[in-house]
Amino acid sequence: MATHTIELETGGSVWKVLVKAGDTVSEGQELFILEVMKMEVPYTSPASGTVKEVSLAEGDVVEEDQVAAVIEG
Amino acid sequence: MSWKPEVDEINQRRELALKQGGEAGIARQHEKGRLTIRERIDELVDKGSFDEIGKGAGASERGSNGELIDFTPANFVVGFAEIEGRRVIVGGEDFTLKGGSPSPAGLRKSVYTEDLALQYKLPLVRLHEGAGGSVGGSGGPSMPGPVFQPSRFKSVAQTLGTVPVASAALGAVAGLPAGRLVSSHFSVMSKSTAQILVAGPAVVERAMGEKLTKDELGGAQVHTRNGTVDNGAEDERAALAQIRAFLSYLPDNVWSLAPVTACDDPADRMDEALLDIVPRERRRAFDMRRLVNLIVDQNSFFEMGKGYGRSQITGLARMQGQTVGVWANDGRHLAGSMTADGARKAERFIKLCETFHLPMIAFVDEPGFMIGSKAEKEATIRHGARTVLTTALTNIPWASIMVRRSFGVAQAAHYGPEAYTLAWPSAESGPLPVEGGVAVAFHREIAAAEDPDAKRRELEEQLAARQSPFPRGEALAVHELIDPRETRPMLCRWIDRVQPGLDRLLGPSAFPYTP
Repeated sequence: MATHTIELETGGSVWKVLVKAGDTVSEGQELFILEVMKMEVPYTSPASGTVKEVSLAEGDVVEEDQVAAVIEG
Repeated sequence: MSWKPEVDEINQRRELALKQGGEAGIARQHEKGRLTIRERIDELVDKGSFDEIGKGAGASERGSNGELIDFTPANFVVGFAEIEGRRVIVGGEDFTLKGGSPSPAGLRKSVYTEDLALQYKLPLVRLHEGAGGSVGGSGGPSMPGPVFQPSRFKSVAQTLGTVPVASAALGAVAGLPAGRLVSSHFSVMSKSTAQILVAGPAVVERAMGEKLTKDELGGAQVHTRNGTVDNGAEDERAALAQIRAFLSYLPDNVWSLAPVTACDDPADRMDEALLDIVPRERRRAFDMRRLVNLIVDQNSFFEMGKGYGRSQITGLARMQGQTVGVWANDGRHLAGSMTADGARKAERFIKLCETFHLPMIAFVDEPGFMIGSKAEKEATIRHGARTVLTTALTNIPWASIMVRRSFGVAQAAHYGPEAYTLAWPSAESGPLPVEGGVAVAFHREIAAAEDPDAKRRELEEQLAARQSPFPRGEALAVHELIDPRETRPMLCRWIDRVQPGLDRLLGPSAFPYTP
């Protein structure tokens, strides 16, 4: 069991959040999508496992390096 | 009578030289989790290959009968060595003696490092930990240098146009060593042990009133993100491994070509994942690094500068064993647009490839220069134009793959003279992306419409369709429209075609390489 912390590569706004805490996810599955400079930037799960935490809500303005989600798998 | 007494003293001095700053100094270095300069060199080079120069340089203390009491070696270690069987010059400060701040003999050896690299035309590696001069002077009062003394920095500048220079920050690096650290083609800092500072916390607090630790001032979180160093590494050993990797892609000097390594990755490999790696949804970003890795020789991509200018991706790779420069846009970061720092990063990278005659492959997804007030304040247009013009003056072969967007003035930077140009079906090009362009060009029509939003979207769709790559193929505006899966086979054939011409480029490049 490893804990994967997903940090944002860029600032932007949160367009869609596709999972919630407790969900089971598979590696490569989209977790949330940011909007950055009119581009939709999907973030995928680095591993199969369980979503421990999602600290984003749709419409949030977010910043680089912010912790967005934690996956246990 | 033989010369035995002198020979004995020579041997005694050599033994003392290896003691560096003494047991206590070495123990302090290890307590802080850092290696000594001699351990660093051993870690970097092929076992047993270090062939030192000036081991006997230093200062001695003699007794009343002229007998040797003690010998303090110069606090800079330099010599020849081999990395993967290839000869290099390697040197670095000895922090266990005077904190690396140069002793008179240390300064001479340090200055000689670049001269040696130039004389033998060998790659240069500098392993830095130390401060620059001290107001106390190096070793007491001495005469200032004469007016006819050559500039200290001339040889440093000349190495950059002559041989590959790689450097590492392994502890605190300040002043002159910091200046030399960045005067390199590739620099890496150990995240766990290094800081890079123009001046340390005490000087900064006195002059500026800022109270900060060494790490806050010049740790990896600062300098891997502003372009001061190219890369960060977890620790010293990882940093040295990056230097070995970097040098493996480069020739010994500008008069020779990069070594071509054996390649077991088939030239005709066509990865299925390339067919859908670019989403049909035009606004959906994709993973450009994955794309690059699917096309170049497997596991050959060595990224440089990942932490800054992040809308642009630069690094070295191999195609059929031949070193190539790879430059791509990262649409996940500011849409892949050319920012001021991204432009500077790309420009320096283009110059690296031009200096060492490395063919360039550009994977283009360029929406244009970054826009907005922050971009204007950063003089994006000046930095961007410099990159565009640098490309225009290169002599190296270019292959440019139109992966997706290719817009504005900025896109011109991605196509060198006579670039071999291939377009994917997802390629879009023009003076500016339709999203911005439609709003400006059709503002009256949009404003007059019953539903302006719908009208704008309709116009965007119409114009996007017109940006189809087929007309470019028909007009021979690209060499070929291709199936994305064909990219590797076609680039391997291109490399095979351009390789025979590379030796015509040998010699110093027309424009100088500067930090």
